[in-house]
Amino acid sequence: MATLTVTQNFGKGARDLEVYRSLGGYGSISSRLFDLSQFELIDLVSRSGLRGRGGAGFPTGMKWSFVPRNSGKPVYLVVNADEGEPGTFKDHVLMQEDPHRLIEGMIVCGWALGVRTAYIYVRGEFLPAIETLNAALKQAYAAGLLGKNIGGSGYSLDIYVHRGAGAYICGEETALINSLEGFKGQPRLKPPFPAVSGAFASPTCVNNVETLMALPWILEHGPEAYQALGTPKSGGTKVFSVSGDVKRPGVYEVPMGTPLMELLESPELCQGIVGELKGVIPGGSSSPVLTAEEARKANLDYEALAALKTMLGSGAVVAFNTERSAVGMLTSLTRFYAHESCGQCTPCREGTGYADRIMKTIASGKGREGDLDHMLDLAANFSYTTICPLAIADAWPIENFIGKFRPEFEAEVAKNPDRGSPRVTKDFRPGAFW
Amino acid sequence: MSNSYNKPVLPKADSKKVSIVVDGADVEVPEGTNLVEALKTIGIDTPHFCYHQDLPVAGNCRQCMVETDGPRGMGLAIACYTPVRPGMKVATDRSSEKVKTARKAVMEFLLANHPLDCPICDKAGECTLQDNYMSSGKHESRMREEIGKQYKGAPEHRHLDAKGQDRGGKHIDLGPTVILDQERCILCDRCTRFMRDVAGDEQLYIAARGDHAFITTFPGQPLQHDYDLNVTDICPVGALTGKHFRFQQRVWLLSKTETIAPDDSLGANITVEHHDGHVWRIMPRRHPDVNKSWISNATRLLYQTLSENRLTGGSFRGADVPLADAVERARELVHGARKVALVASGHLTLEDNAALLALAESLGSRAEVFGGSWLAVGAPDGIARSGDPVANRLGCTLLGISDNLSDLVRRAKEFDCLVVAGHDLWAADAERAKSLSVIPERIALSAWHDATAQASTLAVGIRAWAEVRGSMINVQGRIQRLQAAPTAPTPDLEPAWQVISRLGHLGWTSEVDAFRFAQGRIPALSGLNYRTIGSQGRILEGVAP
Ligand SMILES: Cc1cc2nc3c(=O)[nH]c(=O)nc-3n(C[C@H](O)[C@H](O)[C@H](O)COP(=O)(O)O)c2cc1C
Ligand code: SF4
Ligand code: SF4
Ligand code: FES
Repeated sequence: MATLTVTQNFGKGARDLEVYRSLGGYGSISSRLFDLSQFELIDLVSRSGLRGRGGAGFPTGMKWSFVPRNSGKPVYLVVNADEGEPGTFKDHVLMQEDPHRLIEGMIVCGWALGVRTAYIYVRGEFLPAIETLNAALKQAYAAGLLGKNIGGSGYSLDIYVHRGAGAYICGEETALINSLEGFKGQPRLKPPFPAVSGAFASPTCVNNVETLMALPWILEHGPEAYQALGTPKSGGTKVFSVSGDVKRPGVYEVPMGTPLMELLESPELCQGIVGELKGVIPGGSSSPVLTAEEARKANLDYEALAALKTMLGSGAVVAFNTERSAVGMLTSLTRFYAHESCGQCTPCREGTGYADRIMKTIASGKGREGDLDHMLDLAANFSYTTICPLAIADAWPIENFIGKFRPEFEAEVAKNPDRGSPRVTKDFRPGAFW
Repeated sequence: MSNSYNKPVLPKADSKKVSIVVDGADVEVPEGTNLVEALKTIGIDTPHFCYHQDLPVAGNCRQCMVETDGPRGMGLAIACYTPVRPGMKVATDRSSEKVKTARKAVMEFLLANHPLDCPICDKAGECTLQDNYMSSGKHESRMREEIGKQYKGAPEHRHLDAKGQDRGGKHIDLGPTVILDQERCILCDRCTRFMRDVAGDEQLYIAARGDHAFITTFPGQPLQHDYDLNVTDICPVGALTGKHFRFQQRVWLLSKTETIAPDDSLGANITVEHHDGHVWRIMPRRHPDVNKSWISNATRLLYQTLSENRLTGGSFRGADVPLADAVERARELVHGARKVALVASGHLTLEDNAALLALAESLGSRAEVFGGSWLAVGAPDGIARSGDPVANRLGCTLLGISDNLSDLVRRAKEFDCLVVAGHDLWAADAERAKSLSVIPERIALSAWHDATAQASTLAVGIRAWAEVRGSMINVQGRIQRLQAAPTAPTPDLEPAWQVISRLGHLGWTSEVDAFRFAQGRIPALSGLNYRTIGSQGRILEGVAP
């Protein structure tokens, strides 16, 4: 059995403080934490190789080091528990199974950055998790693990659970901060980055649930031990949400660098593919899809997936078999991104919707020659031209599904007897279509 | 939402210059400003929608793309939010295909869901969407009927055309002044930023998200604010239009006369826009230190009074008389009088008041000049009004005219002739004005059939503020120029200074004569003329209170 650093308490009733403690929980707080200086702690986290598990994979220690000290303003910690990426469901389970590990991780981060007030921004639909978190917070406060003067250390931390309203874009850290502040959840222009000016125009650290939950193990076993679990550049373990055509979908923690097929086929993990594998989305719906052939070569770490021009993302693995239609899958994805675009930037607002309407036209048998290239052109045009990466998160699936399964899309277009008629008639006014 | 508080850094006359490389050429631009402004100083226009000099930067339209150098080489960035950095490299559409493509793409995206109803849109001719299409788009549409458009609009405002097709939110009455056509909106967020950050009353917002987002007011609430018509100027398209101007004139027919607002001592800079002798609208004219880009609704709607209730001739004891006769009669009355009270006016130009002083001089001890106003003075609103409705109050003071209307009221009996120029005393305070009725001959020089004209024994029509050339000194001590739009209701009407010159046989032939006289009284005016005052006015050293 591989070493688990985040999910080791699953199924053990660790929601309850006593159980969590009996499993070694809050050990870091009673032992090492408050003997470490802020700089030592940040250095320790840097050495562990821990990278953000929310999607971008940014080195956590480095992120913490950007938070200015002595800015004269409070420093906030905001936990990103919005988990909106299609295919991702690990944070929900993590919070449900082991809420105290998150609280402990937050205390560690809070101590490192001098945070007095922290928020857990939870996706609105996750009511059970919200209840679990609130119950755990209550226990932790009662046990003196939160509030004033934690464990006699002189350090004080308050944690609030904030319920979002269920928008994918509120997972983007600056949109999340706007939403937390009571504004419409729309990403902000950067700079300033949240580390310098985030929540309430103060230095703010935004970290994913899983990122913070890795901290207690790192403190207990040391950064080198954590780093050694993974590959040289992607340290530690990663929690994957696996869904789709596998025999046993679910949440699995494996060391970084584990072959993708091992996750999907190992008897202890997903137990194999249902039917014949056609492809895998390796890191959430935004990450470029892999063909079966590519999936067989893939290892689950940041570098290996980048080499295959895709990404680890949030660790949402969606495997699909040959019965599934690539056209159908892309149609749901374009619909998702068009629906979730916050609507600020022109290319994303109008482009994701436009691409979605073309996709619908194709899927309903009214596609025409040139539609696929039109889609690709639109996708290229809304990539790298917007405030946040949501538009690219739509462009990548478009480019990769069409790119890797093009014959299927062409067959769909071929169903239209009028597919060859000109797409633009001569007497159209520029920009108009009637 | 701290990003909405990113005020743009604009170039100043004394900004430090730094060198950057634009499209391969070394150039000098002001340090620290954003690239839209920096490029403007070297003659390069960057197409944009959401950026506005007097609003926080939103950076959402993505039209202003340029390439700049960064750690990973040249890459796209929005010019409106990228500050000038010494030595930076910038590529515009003149050298970068990537920039051209990105700008063209934004045009295609915007037009994909736009109704393209330019022929019936009031903004056509001054529409940023049209302009940017010409500079950056010029693409062929790739849209077709099966794909369809997503017209913008609130669910409750959707409008079906004759073919039964959904055309989005049309002609929504937002409040007393503004109509919204949601389907034309490009969601640039300018109107909401104006209401939030300038007007300070967030009455507009963007509801929903993605391409189904739309501009609206809060449920059941109107758009109603003293400055709300400014949103119709800054709206880059025809989504927000003022009821007063909707469907009135095609904008390309309008000629523009640059002048200043006569209804407040800040002297907001405006243009009077006219066609065929008729004023159709007043627009704000940007002045960074006076009114920025804003004017109050009251100022904007002032043009309506230019064609209402005008005194186009003369009237003597209630009977209409030709203008020339009225002037002649006034001259006789003034010269025949034993003691004349001349009431100057802060609503008139320096030139008009100078003429009044010259007339007093010519009459010697038989004449006495009074000044001041009975109108209430409010507080500055921090946008485009000082709160003092007497526009040229400081000018009058500097001319040496005292604030002594109350003396006139007290001593009314001493006079047998009263001349009130451009000052509706009877409307300002009928009670106090009544005591002036003891003066047997009351002459009013007025542009309107106002209460004072009616209370006078002889009324002489003059040109209104929009029809005269001259100057006023605002509350900041800034002398500003009024210019004449060719819109006087009859060509015979003369400016007040000219009528007064006739009364006093001053022999003045143009405003310049009057201005010279004012220069004699106000040392700070020495060396100035209308050209050097210029379109932005001049601060007079040491005159502001
Ligand atoms: C459109 C979009 C959606 C995102 N959604 C989430 C999310 O649901 N959960 C999350 O942790 N991070 C999400 N992120 C990433 C966050 O912006 C941010 O990088 C992350 O929370 C940082 O935490 P980490 O460094 O611990 O990963 C999203 C980013 C984008 C652009
Ligand atoms: S890219 Fe899309 S989601 Fe992101 S800020 Fe722009 S419009 Fe909003
Ligand atoms: S109504 Fe006009 S100003 Fe307001 S967001 Fe739409 S286009 Fe911009
Ligand atoms: S003007 Fe720069 S993004 Fe709109």
